[in-house]
Amino acid sequence: MATEYILRMGDGKRVSMTKEQIKEDTLAGAGNAVDYGLVPELSADEIDKLIEICTMPGKSVSVEYGMEIPVSHDIGTIRLDGDQGNSGVGIPSSRLVGMMMHERAFGADTMELGHIDYSFKPVKPIVSNECQMMEVAQQNMIVPLFYGAMPNMGLYYTPDGPFENPGDLLKAFKLEEAFASMEHSAEHLTRDIVWIMQKLMASGADGVNLDTTGAAGDADAYGTLTAVKALREEFPEMYIEVGSAGESWIGMHGMLEFEGTVLAGLWPHQQVKLVEKAGASIFGPAVNTNTSRTFPWNLARSVAFTKECCKASTIPIHADMGMGVGGIPMLETPPIDAVTRASKAIVEIAGADGI
Amino acid sequence: MDKQAILKELSDAMVSCKADVIMAATKKAVDAGMPSVEIIDGLADGMTEVGDQFERGKVFLPHVMMAANGMQAAVDTLDMGAAGATVKKVIINGTVEGDVHDIGKSIVSTMLQSAGFEVHDLGRDVPNAKFIEAIKEYNADMVGLSALMTTTLNGQKEIIELLKANGMRDNIKVMVGGAPATTAWAEKIGADCYAENASEAVERAKALLL
Amino acid sequence: MPIAHIMASGMTGLRAGGDLVARMQLSKSMKIKEAKEYVAKKVGVDVFDLADEYAMRDVREDLGIGVITSVPGAPKGIAAKMNIEKVLDTKINCCDYFRNQIKQ
Repeated sequence: MATEYILRMGDGKRVSMTKEQIKEDTLAGAGNAVDYGLVPELSADEIDKLIEICTMPGKSVSVEYGMEIPVSHDIGTIRLDGDQGNSGVGIPSSRLVGMMMHERAFGADTMELGHIDYSFKPVKPIVSNECQMMEVAQQNMIVPLFYGAMPNMGLYYTPDGPFENPGDLLKAFKLEEAFASMEHSAEHLTRDIVWIMQKLMASGADGVNLDTTGAAGDADAYGTLTAVKALREEFPEMYIEVGSAGESWIGMHGMLEFEGTVLAGLWPHQQVKLVEKAGASIFGPAVNTNTSRTFPWNLARSVAFTKECCKASTIPIHADMGMGVGGIPMLETPPIDAVTRASKAIVEIAGADGI
Repeated sequence: MDKQAILKELSDAMVSCKADVIMAATKKAVDAGMPSVEIIDGLADGMTEVGDQFERGKVFLPHVMMAANGMQAAVDTLDMGAAGATVKKVIINGTVEGDVHDIGKSIVSTMLQSAGFEVHDLGRDVPNAKFIEAIKEYNADMVGLSALMTTTLNGQKEIIELLKANGMRDNIKVMVGGAPATTAWAEKIGADCYAENASEAVERAKALLL
Repeated sequence: MPIAHIMASGMTGLRAGGDLVARMQLSKSMKIKEAKEYVAKKVGVDVFDLADEYAMRDVREDLGIGVITSVPGAPKGIAAKMNIEKVLDTKINCCDYFRNQIKQ
């Protein structure tokens, strides 16, 4: 009987696989990235290395000496005291305690201040509170400290915002109205991000982390990149991290361009070129995990996309490697075996500059 | 022109996403004597291709809508004869109560509508009772339940329980989706299927309803 | 989960030299190799030492750029960052912000 290795499904469930099955899924996962994103195939050595990482005997694995990278953080501020039942663990504590715990106790290389809703739009009415918190945090913190939130352009559509929901307009075949709604929302998103970050930079923030860019489609990416461009012009030395929402920006609009390139349907290695043009310091490509596929399938797909992104980029790549991203299972408590294997692969094979 | 060539032309017309091209290809097929049912099959194949192209980032949501509208206009011109007008399967779609995420669910609604289903999108943060009311009102064949947060995922289970309590569960299919949902979750709560993305939602709906 | 990444791949922040490398990636968009070489040269260690707690402990204390334990009298917070500015020859926004608040 062939030796079997303990691995995971995309939802985190434990499965046993033979080396042959691991190889088959690794090739299929990498092949999916080649087929969809038109990225180059992984080499035979890279496939072998992925299989080796999947079959390493330890429960957790790590990169080789000398290959360590910085791990930048999103939402760490509220990971401790957040009690929404998902990311946070509900320990009564302040945001400052959350940040300092990550810096002093957990060994984080960067941290960010964020608020519990974690979207830019709701920051506007509470920006003074955020500025005060930033000032206090910057007096106490040593690692680079961002202000972080999601562009989350869906908040500008009815019933949450002033513009008619383009999803409803598209279904009613009111295309021009849908386009106008998305364009107006993008303008407001840009304005809000810039205004909020002007306030926070004036309170000592090191920069901004724009998390899950493009979550509401290509117009969301347009509004965010336009904000990045404006911020870079105003603050030449600001740290700007742009994290993507997924491996492809969905074409809700389809015709929006940034710097002459249509945004819809771009894959990570294409997204990063526009992020560079906008003036970001770092890009975080995201490759979402398919919960119905195995860990080797998801990891190989993620590595194939991320490797090409790293190759194409002139700025550092900090791959998004959270719950349900980067080959990591979609589970609130992602298994350590899968997280560490994905971590090692994304650094050693894809060549990420950080996580 | 042989049958295969006509079917390919119908499919290619759909992929162009242009109503006038779709109408022209349909007229050509009618003039060639192709039965209406076969013409619809050709158009539907093209629509499937459009869905695949959307998944690949080659065409975008407005194109999908344009193709769907073109197809509807073309089908309306066909003489369905004894087959009569086909009755569309009805799907209620919405994001569960407490969850304000809308966009992914809207894309699923659009793709289902484009695939020929009659879709009633209830929006987001939909009270459980509203799902039940809508299912009754439209005599729905399937309900799609979206949840994007682990904290609201349980809403999918609550609605299934409510369907059972109202004696409606046996007459309706339940599809679940959203980032924290999985096949295992669907099985656990007694849903009929889980869909990973919009294209898969169309596949699952076709498999269960057609 | 972030701790799993830090254990598997991280430079462990203040425990070693991860925050310094991250700062150069962010301020100058340096890729990992360039950022590590830059920081190693500035703090006077081998690139290999940047993720080594033993090698970096004394370096951090000597340069006053912040250590992970609460050493009495060692620069912390904004004071440590003002030293990092000088050591890495880079501008840090919050240091400027607080300097500008001090009346001459």
